[in-house]
Amino acid sequence: MKLVAAIICAAALGAIAPGLADEAFTPDQNGDDVSVLDLQTRKLVATIPVGGKPAGIAMSPDAAFAYVTSTEGKYLSVIDTAERKIVRKIMIPDTPLGVAADPAGTFVYVAGFYDNHLYEIDPREGRIVATLDVGHAPSGIALTPDDKLIVTADREDNQLSIIDAASFTRQRIVKVGEHPFGVTIDAPRHRVYAADVESDDMSVVDYENGELVGTVKVGKRPYAIALAQDLAFVTNQYAGTVSVIDLKTLLPIKTIPVGDYPEGIEASADGKTIYVANWFSNEVFAIDVASLTVTAKMPVGDGPRAFGTFLRQTK
Amino acid sequence: MRGLKVLSGCAVALALLAPLAVKAHGPSRQKVSETVEINAPAAKVWARIGNFQDIGWLPGVEKTEGTGGNADKATRKITLKGGATIDEELYAYSAEKMSYSYRITQVDVKVLPVNNYSSTITVTPAGDNKSTIEWRGAFYRGFMNNDPPPELSDEAAVKAVSGIYRAGLDSLKKELEATQ
Repeated sequence: MKLVAAIICAAALGAIAPGLADEAFTPDQNGDDVSVLDLQTRKLVATIPVGGKPAGIAMSPDAAFAYVTSTEGKYLSVIDTAERKIVRKIMIPDTPLGVAADPAGTFVYVAGFYDNHLYEIDPREGRIVATLDVGHAPSGIALTPDDKLIVTADREDNQLSIIDAASFTRQRIVKVGEHPFGVTIDAPRHRVYAADVESDDMSVVDYENGELVGTVKVGKRPYAIALAQDLAFVTNQYAGTVSVIDLKTLLPIKTIPVGDYPEGIEASADGKTIYVANWFSNEVFAIDVASLTVTAKMPVGDGPRAFGTFLRQTK
Repeated sequence: MRGLKVLSGCAVALALLAPLAVKAHGPSRQKVSETVEINAPAAKVWARIGNFQDIGWLPGVEKTEGTGGNADKATRKITLKGGATIDEELYAYSAEKMSYSYRITQVDVKVLPVNNYSSTITVTPAGDNKSTIEWRGAFYRGFMNNDPPPELSDEAAVKAVSGIYRAGLDSLKKELEATQ
């Protein structure tokens, strides 16, 4: 009977579960888990215990794996996204925060917050293959889609490090606003945007020539940036808002009230929806890019930071 | 009085520690939310706590001095009984919503074992002659590196902040209900 029940269950689940809607994986730092949201039904569909105060996340290019940093546990969890299971834990010799996966699917990069290192990690072998010195308190990490450059936000040095991915050496240092945290690549414009936590602005850097080309005022305590349809969306933690910036003019066009202490933010693959993790109020908001309004509020675990790329395409 | 005890207990424990590296941030943000229901109208409660320049309602506070009133970026220096100080800056204020938000710009971790602390206090009407105060905080622990000593851990930070909030809210309830 058990076997029959299992088969029936599996069939029933198979009919509704995978392959239909995109999902959000939010590392919930205070709750010590990762919440999985079905973004079509807007329901919490799984909670994966990870421990160690998780904060950063990167999705593998094929969306089969999520890489989650546990800041206090000092490890990177490799999560099988379909199975909702941790398949590997990779110990990091420092507090890991920011994490990014390369577009080729070869390496994962992790920022060591206190020892000022960027670690190049082979996620299959589960080991660190190279270590690079960057600036103080490296936080956000982003890669260009051609896999050539890696950018780190060196928070305490008010700078970005631009790193050649192939040789894993630092090419340039670019001074930005005060305490840059999240960084996001805009490949068509050869730009990287940094959210400057303490100067309440967004720095705009040309990563080809290493020049700061603009600074845009946003709300109080900006943390991270998402891009969609020639717009940048910046989470402002103290303000509880998302600033919307026109990337053609670099002018702010709207401020959208969201939950309390918004942090992680990412655009859906089709560029139609922005998802925001609200750390204090434990919910993910959906913002419709066309109308620039909040269209959904989805409860998750305690303290979602979702710092990095946390959306998974299941199609 | 619990707030005071927490503060002085921390001071004693922390005085023994070596000087600490200064960092403005850490990786694991903590949150605390404490509430109290008071048998008094919200307007009366707000009248008592709504002035950023006077936190005299918090047990353990000797005096509040500051500039800028309740305007954005107004500052206040709180002097605790015993002489320790905490510098704070206002970043949001709404008399209409009966809420204000501020951050600590300067505090010794021996006084309060936190970093990068921000806080919001809000009064909400809860029916006739009743209201709720919520005091919430977001902050990092006192030790800004790997492997904190217990006195500067996440748990110590949460305990200290919760203790202060509880002391403040319970004292307000007592005071405001006594003068009904």
